[in-house]
Parts: sequence; structure tokens; C-alpha cells
Amino acid sequence: MVVGEGDGMVVDSNLQIGVNGDAFAALTASMYRKARRAAAAAGFGETGFFELDAEGGRMCAAGRNDLVIVVIAEPRVNVGLLRVEMLKALEAFA
Amino acid sequence: MSDDIRTLSETLAADPSSIVFVQLGEALRRSGQIELAWRVATRGLDRHAQRADAHDLVARIAIDRGDFPRARAEWETVLTLAPGHGGAQKGLGFLCFQQGDLDEAARYLGAALADDPQDESLAAALDTVRASHPDRRPIEEAPTLRVPVVDARTLFQEVLGDPSQTAILLDGDGYVVAGQYLTADGRDLGADIGAQLSGVSEEANRAMRHLSLGRWRQIVFEAESASVAMAPSGGGVLLVAAPRSVPLGYVRRLLERSLERVRRWTGARA
Repeated sequence: MVVGEGDGMVVDSNLQIGVNGDAFAALTASMYRKARRAAAAAGFGETGFFELDAEGGRMCAAGRNDLVIVVIAEPRVNVGLLRVEMLKALEAFA
Repeated sequence: MSDDIRTLSETLAADPSSIVFVQLGEALRRSGQIELAWRVATRGLDRHAQRADAHDLVARIAIDRGDFPRARAEWETVLTLAPGHGGAQKGLGFLCFQQGDLDEAARYLGAALADDPQDESLAAALDTVRASHPDRRPIEEAPTLRVPVVDARTLFQEVLGDPSQTAILLDGDGYVVAGQYLTADGRDLGADIGAQLSGVSEEANRAMRHLSLGRWRQIVFEAESASVAMAPSGGGVLLVAAPRSVPLGYVRRLLERSLERVRRWTGARA
């Protein structure tokens, strides 16, 4: 999904049937925004890649220019590869 | 060559000053490639002579090579750099036992067991040492009964090794329970940084309530100057931060080791 970081609205998505895209978009964008602001406030600078590992799956996000790419995946996904692809895709937002 | 070893080798080749040599050396040692492990570990130690975990690795490989004097010297260095290091105490305990110095073996193993009371192999080893003693007298037992006094601020020192890596344990209200974040001029910014970053875990808790993903286990994110990893711990959260030059996978390992350290610490205090 591509999501607006500020409003959590879906800009574009490709989801499996049954996934509540709106809820994932809003909540992931909110978490990403929080992480970005917290990291900046802590003096760590701008945030790039973000990953949450939960019992039932992984949520990954990477943002630029107020847009966030959000990926929802199975727990067993190769997150290293996912990260590289997401950062590559992020170049399109430059 | 396993995937792990290949990945770690590539990481080290790309950045020879990386601390990933510790993981690579250990992976090689476990896979039986002792001489290769030795070369990786000793070259790494040349660059990172102040790292206790590097000396510990060299000591363990020295044991595999049958070089006991070198192993002893390395573990003694570890105890100088990181007093109370469990691995070094355990190693020296076994070494002393093998060389017939039962009193010293019991002293080291007792101290290691006091540091990690859940380690059954240590308890068994200590029993063996006691049983082997000619007069079967109780030897240096006091350390096993004493809970070590640990300064909460330096709780993660031994796990992290490198001072540029930080771990902070926060309670549910965002207060620092253990750990510190020291700036170059020696100021502790742990409370400030913890307060800022604990908000991320609160946001994650909120998200998990609405999504059907179960409980969150770990959050990792990369910022310009640091990689941050966090996980729930007790009613609060444990944060680990490391410079961006540290591989993300290693930061996750540091988080896991720090969580284990918290578990031992809280278990010992209970």
C-alpha cells in the first residue's frame, strides 16, 4: 500500500482479500509517524525503514515526502529482502 | 558454507572494521572450521582489543585448538574489561577443573552460577567439582548463595560491549528502570530518549488492539544516525540503539541478549 503519512489514507494498494486495508493504512502510518517524530526528537535524525514483528505477521513501512509504503506480510517473510525492495521503491517518491 | 556464514563474511568483507567478526568467528567455530575461526577472531581482536566479547571468542577457539594458556590469558582479560563476565568465569572454571585446581574451579563456577542461577550445566559442573574434591569439603560456596549487586545503570554493559551501543529498560510510565544513554561529554540522556521512544510502543499497543496480529514482539527502525530496536519487557519496554554502521541483524541480536539480561536480573532480584 502507499499511504499518506499525515492522514493515514490509502493512495494505492494491492491487498489480499480479507485484509482491512484502511485500518492497516491508518494504524501503520500513525506508528511510522510516531517513530519518525520520536527519533527526530531523540536526535537520531530522519527515519527510513520501520518494521513491527507481531505474533501473526509483520508490518513494514518506509516513507518519504509525506508518503509511506506499507507492507503487511507473513511472519516467515524474508524481511531483509523486503527492506531492500521497499527502499528501492521509495526512490520513486523522490 | 551456510547462509549465515556467507552473509556474515560478506558483511565483514564490505566493512573490515565491523564487529560482525564476533558472530562470524562463532559461526565458524560451531561449524568446525576452527583455524578459519581463529584467523577471523584474532584479526578482529587486533582492531577491537577493548571488546570483552572478542577476547571471549578468542578464548573459546583457543580451547578448541588445545591452547589452554592462551584461553586462560584471554578470559582473564575479559574479566578485566567486564568484571563478572559469566562466560569468562565459566570458561576459567572449566579450565581450572581440567587442570586439577579444584578450589579455583569452584570459585569461578560458583561466581558464574551466582550470575546465572538458571544455568543447569553450571550447577552440574559445580557438583562435579565438589564431588571430585579429595576431602569433599564444601568449597567456596558463598557466591552461589549471594545475589550479585548490580548497578542498574550499567546492567547492559557486559551484553553491549561497545559503548556506542545503548540499552534502556523503561517501565510502563516511561521511567528508566535500568541502562543509560551517555553522550560524548558524559551526560546521561536515557530519560529524555526513553520518554521520546516509549511513545512508539504505546502506539504499537494501540494498533495491535485494532488489528488481528496478536501481540507485538519487536519493533526495529532505522534513523539517520542510529538503528533502534525495542521489545515489550515486563510492563514496560526495552530499547536498544546502535550507530547505523552496526548491521540491523546485529542490533536485533543485541535486543534479544539484553532481554535475556533483564530476565536474569529481575529473576535474581525476585
